[in-house]
Amino acid sequence: MSDAGNGKKPLRYSVRGKDTRFFSGEGVDELVAISMTLAQELWVVKERLAAYETLATKKKIFTTKEIEGFTFTPAQRARMDAESQAFIDRVFFTLRERVEGLAADPDEPPTPKEP
Amino acid sequence: MTKYVQHDMKVTPTPEEAARQAFMSSMRMYVLHDLANGMRTAYEAEVEPKFERKNKRAPKNGVEVHRAIKKDPTFKFYSSMRCNAQEMVFRSILPTVERDQDALNKKAKALSRSKKVAGTVETDPKFKVPRSVSAVDVHRMPGNYDTEYGPDDVTQGAVYDNGISVFSMGFFGENLDDIGGSISMFIKNKYPKFAPKRILDMGCTIGHNTVPWAKMYPKAEVHGIDVGAPVVRYGHARAQAAGVPVHFHQQNAEATDFEDGSFDMIFSSMFLHEVPKKGIKKVFKEARRLLKPGGLMLHMELPPNKMLGAYDSFYLDWDAYYNKEPFYKPFRDMDPQAVCAEAGFAKSKFVQYIIPSLGQYGEKVVKAAVKKQSGRADDQTGRFAAGIHWYCFGAWK
Repeated sequence: MSDAGNGKKPLRYSVRGKDTRFFSGEGVDELVAISMTLAQELWVVKERLAAYETLATKKKIFTTKEIEGFTFTPAQRARMDAESQAFIDRVFFTLRERVEGLAADPDEPPTPKEP
Repeated sequence: MTKYVQHDMKVTPTPEEAARQAFMSSMRMYVLHDLANGMRTAYEAEVEPKFERKNKRAPKNGVEVHRAIKKDPTFKFYSSMRCNAQEMVFRSILPTVERDQDALNKKAKALSRSKKVAGTVETDPKFKVPRSVSAVDVHRMPGNYDTEYGPDDVTQGAVYDNGISVFSMGFFGENLDDIGGSISMFIKNKYPKFAPKRILDMGCTIGHNTVPWAKMYPKAEVHGIDVGAPVVRYGHARAQAAGVPVHFHQQNAEATDFEDGSFDMIFSSMFLHEVPKKGIKKVFKEARRLLKPGGLMLHMELPPNKMLGAYDSFYLDWDAYYNKEPFYKPFRDMDPQAVCAEAGFAKSKFVQYIIPSLGQYGEKVVKAAVKKQSGRADDQTGRFAAGIHWYCFGAWK
């Protein structure tokens, strides 16, 4: 975001008239949004660590400037993208589990009804 | 994989910003593939059988599927995460664009003034942006195509260029020009005697799909129009940077100031679904007015509902309800041939094609598609997936 007081009109980050909700439980939509942002921020950390590790292995020693200037090669980028897919799958595993649960064995003993 | 903007108007993300952007491409892939497939599985395993038990028949259309699936948790998670992912795409690029805003405006001005390439740009300070653009952040892009942060501003062009680079996960090609590149190559090979002298791209935004027409027909004079001043300014700078002369104008495709019969080819891509139904009818009439006899009008779009089954209709119409694309479903409910006929095009002159992506399949397959249709209309036509094809329709005058 722009620094306050620099005289520039800040860019708008929010979407006008946002009113889309999908869950009836209070706060669930917000929790989904927060979880996704947390996942994104965690990924930023993981990617930064991968950069450190790559450089540390290569050079044995590194500087902040080297880290700031680091970019992945296309092959490394492709590997990171594949890893991020697996990472997302782990974070949101509960959603896949529900779908896979649909293929449950029909002979599975039923769970007792809650009292 | 994200294909970051690489041309002269590129921005410079910090490593953290670049990681956020790359993550969003992966996240969208997860939502559009894994979660979308999960939702379809849940529909087939639970929602549809329940509907059939109750109604003694399958859902007839997308609206019935939508009504039936709305309470299913897979729909709720898919929808909630897709909405969030859409907004996060733009939020991931906004800090970079904001930091580079002044530099972008300076670069655009220099490229625009450059005499090395003969393109031009015209904006009109008195131009009235239609409410369909000024009153909504289409596809959840803050600021839409028209917000100006200062005089001669190009910010929203950069937001769109960088946003769709992340959003499209590489499916739009190196320069986001796969739609224009694939379709212009197809037309050139299907109609080798057709040599348009003047080409118009309606609703061209940043001209990413206008430039391929100028490359395919280098002798033609190519024009692009859009109601957003920042996007046509940016589009001009972008085309100049690519060394391709294109003439950009801030104009409304419903009523332009070009003369009758002044174009041989009129094209649009991903444009009509962002126009209200009444406006679409005006656009078609205007296209017919602008075309010379023997000219071709061609619009690339998502396939109409009449070509799809109930579930696929629901799936594609999702955007109308939840992605700030209010005109998406009304457009897709229209009959393309009937709309062309209503605007005065002869029914016998109607054309429609499903064209393979040049980026994914290569030149050989696109050229082969001229003789044999290789794609089919389903929820993947025009969508981001392996095997992507582009649907387009129109008419000869």
